[in-house]
Amino acid sequence: MVFLIVLIASFLLQMILPWWVVVLISFASCGLVGKTGKIAFWSPFLAILALWTGVALFKSLPNDNVLAMRVAEMFGVRLWWLILAISALLGAIASGISGYCGYHFRKALLHKKAQA
Amino acid sequence: MMNKTKALICVIIPVLLAYALNTKFGDTPPLLKFLNPFTGFWQNAEATAVKLNKKIILKGTHQNVDIAFDDRMIPHIFAQNDHDAYYAQGYVTAMHRLWQMDFQTRFAAGRLCEVVGRKAIELDRYQRRMGMVYGAEKSLQGMMADPESRVMILAYTQGINDYIHSLSAAKVPLEYKLLDFKPEDWTPIKCALLLKQMSAVLAMGSDEFYMTNIRNKFGTEVVKDLFPDYPFREDPIIPAGTKWDFKALPVPEAPAPDSSILTENIRTKEKEEGIGSNNWALSGSKTASGFPILANDPHLDLSLPSIWYQIQLHAPGLNAYGVSLPGAPGIIIGFNQKIAWGVTNVAADVLDFYQIRFKDNTHSSYWYDNQWKKTTYQIEKIKIRGGATEMDTVFYTHQGPVVYLQKPKDFSRSNNIPVGNALRWIAHEKSNELKTFYLLNRGSNYNDYRKALTYYTAPAQNFIFASADNDIAITANGKFPLKWKDQGKFILDGADPKNDWHGWIPAAQNPTVKNPERGFVSSANQSSTDQSYPYYINWEFSPYERGKRINDRLTVMTRATADSIIRMQTDNYSIHAQNLLPAVLKMVDESKLNATQKEGLTIVSKWDKYYNANSVGASIFDFWTKRLQEDIWYDEFTVANIPMKYPSRDRTVQLILNEPNSKWIDNVNTPARETLNDLVIESFKFACDTLERRFGPIGKDWEWANVKHTNVPHLAKIPGFGSKPLMIGGGKMTINALSESNGPSWRMVVELGKSPKGHGVFPGGQSGNPGSKFYDNMIDTWANGQLYDLFFMQSADDPSAKIISRLKISKK
Repeated sequence: MVFLIVLIASFLLQMILPWWVVVLISFASCGLVGKTGKIAFWSPFLAILALWTGVALFKSLPNDNVLAMRVAEMFGVRLWWLILAISALLGAIASGISGYCGYHFRKALLHKKAQA
Repeated sequence: MMNKTKALICVIIPVLLAYALNTKFGDTPPLLKFLNPFTGFWQNAEATAVKLNKKIILKGTHQNVDIAFDDRMIPHIFAQNDHDAYYAQGYVTAMHRLWQMDFQTRFAAGRLCEVVGRKAIELDRYQRRMGMVYGAEKSLQGMMADPESRVMILAYTQGINDYIHSLSAAKVPLEYKLLDFKPEDWTPIKCALLLKQMSAVLAMGSDEFYMTNIRNKFGTEVVKDLFPDYPFREDPIIPAGTKWDFKALPVPEAPAPDSSILTENIRTKEKEEGIGSNNWALSGSKTASGFPILANDPHLDLSLPSIWYQIQLHAPGLNAYGVSLPGAPGIIIGFNQKIAWGVTNVAADVLDFYQIRFKDNTHSSYWYDNQWKKTTYQIEKIKIRGGATEMDTVFYTHQGPVVYLQKPKDFSRSNNIPVGNALRWIAHEKSNELKTFYLLNRGSNYNDYRKALTYYTAPAQNFIFASADNDIAITANGKFPLKWKDQGKFILDGADPKNDWHGWIPAAQNPTVKNPERGFVSSANQSSTDQSYPYYINWEFSPYERGKRINDRLTVMTRATADSIIRMQTDNYSIHAQNLLPAVLKMVDESKLNATQKEGLTIVSKWDKYYNANSVGASIFDFWTKRLQEDIWYDEFTVANIPMKYPSRDRTVQLILNEPNSKWIDNVNTPARETLNDLVIESFKFACDTLERRFGPIGKDWEWANVKHTNVPHLAKIPGFGSKPLMIGGGKMTINALSESNGPSWRMVVELGKSPKGHGVFPGGQSGNPGSKFYDNMIDTWANGQLYDLFFMQSADDPSAKIISRLKISKK
């Protein structure tokens, strides 16, 4: 569920908003419907990993990966797919952590309410 | 409480994470801003398949414009009026080169700190203190005062801005994302700044600081001997013996000799021989077609995105093809139906330093013509990314800006600038170079060419010309100050009015020749004229070897074709080796050499004197003779705290050939008395040993291309964005003047005739986007010495051109 929400919302909102909207989406979706801490991390993580890999490949493959190769050389990694992996993983980690934080944010608030 | 903290931490972590990955730290780009596939660099990856046709609506046009892109992505613009032609030129140039245009003009204006932070502060100060903006503002006045160039510049600016405004965050050029700044609107002053930067590249050379030190240390006789006013060997641009058919103005009176000019210190630096170019034109009497052929290859520091942008402009009264500078409207080097033109640099002395005596430390007045005269000042506000804006006060005398009152540390550009001196520089004059190109682009005969040149100020160029009427001509052209002989060879006393510039050489009297008997005209930055020219332009020009080789080849050429001219552009033969090698070879005593050195000697004795890619002889000769020059001059001309320059290559050759017992040969730092033979052997051994140390045992790795390591770097030196090393021949003193990353930035050959045929190539591509296949697609062709046939289209639907894409701009 979270996976699909993050995937679709991120795809649509990134058309008009900066990349960090994925941090908001992950936080919000896990904050609202995240079931466990594990899910709250891995769902946004996998969603962004898949989405970013997909979109990057969609731009890079018709380019014969020429630009990815140049950027790889700039970062000193030499292999174009490493740049793809770094991009997608960084995005995924940021989303995963945000999702996890979103989930625990809700837990903290609920706990507080329960106490009150 | 616990939970409140927990909730807070849960919010803070994602916020910090997003912030950290969206921010530039030092030179590290904002990571996910740059790497995310929606707005990051992935969006700049252009599909190799090109979109066919596109229509856009732009209110800035007056009528419809058709743009056809050929198979090298070169735009052919078909407009119905001047405004639309330049509007479209601005639009497509920005489409391909926006970051380059922006970056180069920021560089020129001393505004790099705004985007890269404090590390560029000395460069920004230097650009401003040299008066780049001051000069650009004056130029802009000149350009706006003329109705035609005004239309050019305003339409071009509007075209660029309409493109900028159409950009989404995803489509912004890559380098903006990397350096993390945004495009700003183009303004007319930026066009002027770009042209001023060309002046800075080509006409900012200044030796007077060094020469003054040399005169103070060794005296005027040594200066006369080692730094003569005319070279030992020369083959001037205007053929020797050409008659001057004008009555010359009287030369202004020189002041009494003065040796009170004091200078202080920095390190001697050998001037790099980099800025140079070739052009030549053959008359129909020497070609197979019976019509002229014109060739040009300007040598500059090569970069990606390419320095030049190819374009065809078509509008009523205009149909021209050639290269433009991204950031300036019109075509700089090119051809049209009737004429072709090209340029090489004239090393005119149009930059002088005046020693200023200030009244006191407020610098508010200075001594001039026996009285105190007020200075003016300008406060430069340098914005610094991530820091406070810095104010820098620049004082101006009537001569110009006082560049330094205090020398910056570790900033090599300031090396040749004397402290406390005012700068008089041609680039500070009001001017309108655009008008020259406006007229040349539309010219149809010799008279049009001559008229166009009268509008040109700087940087002075040898304008070469050929027409379908079978005229050829060349003119050393620019606004030249009327000077007394050697005025500005040394630092001038700023208090003496006789040292001011006294008017100008009349444009019509600039050195020129039309249809000379020898059937060709040419230039390679050597002396403009023989010694009979009545005016002083400079005391030293580039060495004559390239010019000599060009003239030797053209003299014997008959029934020339485009192919023979194209081959000649990559001629690697060294006149320097021809002059020097036989003499120095005789001086090497083989018995003093080790095995590698002996083998090296055998190779260099058999060497054919061509700087070809696979030549080992060229590598040895190059290292050898450079070291020999060091051996001769280093001991006397490298003195701590007294920056000087070495005598020229020409003077060194003269010394080696004719003055083997000269006192300069002995190394004054050793007790022994060295002979020329000693130096020749030492330098030969040094050359072989250095090559062995750097490239291993003598063999394939010693080949010239491997040693020279030619490559085309990115403009901002971003690794991965430059070219791979190119295994090609050539050298600074051969026609194919290619060093590590300086050389022919555009090669063009035009066959005039009923319909002209153009050929051309530059090391790079039309697109400035490293993610486009058109970024560097021409580089291999260029490296192989081949030229493309250029499509000179007669209409937007001309079937002779290979068109891969079309852009139609309409008003609604």
